[in-house]
Amino acid sequence: MLLRMSWRNLWRNPRRTFVVLAAISVGIAGSIISMSVNYGMIASMVKTAIEGGLGHIQVHAEGWDANPELKIRLEDGGESVALALDRVPEIESWAPRLRAQGLVASPRASVGIAIIGVDPQRERHVSIAAESIFEGSWITKPRQLVIGDKLATRLQASVGSKLVVSVQDIDGELTGQAFRVAGLIHSGSRDLDDGTVFVNITEAQTLFGLGQSISEIVLVTANRDDIGLIQEKLEALLGEGPEVRTWEQLEPMLIYMVTAFDQMAWVLYAAVFIAMAFGIANVLLMAVFERTREIGMMRAVGMSRASVVGMVVLESAFVTMFGLLLGLLGAAFGVWLMRDGLDISSYAGSLDSYGIAPTLTPTLRTDDLGPPIIIGAITAVLSSLWPALRASRAKPADALRQL
Amino acid sequence: MIIEAVDVTKVYETRGIETRALDGIKLQLEEGEFCALAGPSGSGKTTLLNLLGALDVPTSGKIQIDGVELSALSSKELSDLRLRKLGFVFQAYNLIPVLSALENVEFVMELQGVTQADRRLRATEVLERVGLGGLGDKRPLEMSGGQQQRVAVARAIASGPRVVLADEPTANLDSVTASKLLELMAELNSEDGVTFLFSTHDPLVMEAAHRVVRLRDGLVVDDDRKAQASA
Repeated sequence: MLLRMSWRNLWRNPRRTFVVLAAISVGIAGSIISMSVNYGMIASMVKTAIEGGLGHIQVHAEGWDANPELKIRLEDGGESVALALDRVPEIESWAPRLRAQGLVASPRASVGIAIIGVDPQRERHVSIAAESIFEGSWITKPRQLVIGDKLATRLQASVGSKLVVSVQDIDGELTGQAFRVAGLIHSGSRDLDDGTVFVNITEAQTLFGLGQSISEIVLVTANRDDIGLIQEKLEALLGEGPEVRTWEQLEPMLIYMVTAFDQMAWVLYAAVFIAMAFGIANVLLMAVFERTREIGMMRAVGMSRASVVGMVVLESAFVTMFGLLLGLLGAAFGVWLMRDGLDISSYAGSLDSYGIAPTLTPTLRTDDLGPPIIIGAITAVLSSLWPALRASRAKPADALRQL
Repeated sequence: MIIEAVDVTKVYETRGIETRALDGIKLQLEEGEFCALAGPSGSGKTTLLNLLGALDVPTSGKIQIDGVELSALSSKELSDLRLRKLGFVFQAYNLIPVLSALENVEFVMELQGVTQADRRLRATEVLERVGLGGLGDKRPLEMSGGQQQRVAVARAIASGPRVVLADEPTANLDSVTASKLLELMAELNSEDGVTFLFSTHDPLVMEAAHRVVRLRDGLVVDDDRKAQASA
């Protein structure tokens, strides 16, 4: 009967119940949608970083972690690492790279840049550099380079322009080489679009006097859940020496941001649920005040305090349960409405340095549904305790005197 | 003896001003009585009824129900005592508006732990007994004041209390409905042996009562058992 009474009590004032339902469901839906957008942004950042060249795992020569310079390199051109890679079926594709710093100059300007020597064919499968070309082509001939659109603007260069890349080779000698611009890329990543020059790895090796040495091997997997496993296998196969690092280890800033967003989620949930708690407590207090005599009668005829508390808490639990359900449906609907992504291109100029794509697609993760549901249920119980205890503490004789 | 009050005093204090609502009341209620507490407003009728019904505690003095001293009981024990031994009828009916008449009558029995089948049977019987057979599905707000008070009486007697305490049960009813309710209560007393103690300032009720205890300014000024003898 407690259940029945609690349920029917909710509908004594349907408008009030609907207002609470709306407050709960909008709060829940809003916080979930907001978190979905946030996670969509993080997913976009991670995707841009991984596809922009980070890959899922990178293998370097020992000492790269501490000192990522030209002198730390895989002397055999990565052959021993490549042999190990062939024995790990979870790896989808891999590519060698040479990384160094240098200067690129046009007749009108010169800019300090990162030089990445790539295997043009293999690189297509580990990064979006090749597919981000919007003018011209990827490296197909000798003495070609690819630069980002922003760098091209700074150099006042275009497809076909001749640029000179100047570097300090492994022996410390200044040297240089002329290249033609094969293509311009626009990836959305400021690093790629404004500060990187892609050249053929063999030409880079010659330019730096490195023989067949390379800086790294980058690899990707079809299933990101396999990253840890691949790292373990490679470390076992390669033994002491080469450093096998996941993208998380290589870019701890991304993980820091993921963690920061997670913590922001809790702050958001706290704000929403505290507001919700006050709303529920306020409405239940009003409801309990209105029923002072009735509750006094129930106490008079022998209803225990615990049962009075239970009745009020159940009312809150009912309304919260429905509010949560509506909130989840609302969140799912909201995310579905935004399935094609939110156009944030007007902010893209300031966001691309963070690797955030101009179209943001909210990401609804099932793991993210747990906290609002659990915290919502706890909030409902806690916020109803105050009015419930207040109702149960009224002396029957006093309560019955209330008009 | 069901209820015994010895030297019961109740003093209310509001903003430092003491009001002596009851002043050394002595009262005994025997099984099967049909007793009225009479007196003008402010004489202490409701206060005494609340104390005898374990709804409030006296400032001094002792109250016993079935030989159990109330001051020795905890809040939970008092609640349990009210549940097992007392039935209540209130001036404003005080039915639970979200429950039907039948469910209202079942309410106290459910608190007592009576099984659903037994309480449904008993509630139906009692509703028939108070003349409301067929109205069990009605909600209180769909019923007249007289019908609601009958449901309240049914609720009070359905759980088989030792005594029913009624606070001005006819105060909100017109004279015809009040007379019918009184007839019902008197019938339940004479035929079913239900003990009633009610407060009233309605001459009709005082006339129907077998015993009238008159209060004035918190004192018992008269305890008239003649009515019972002539009933």
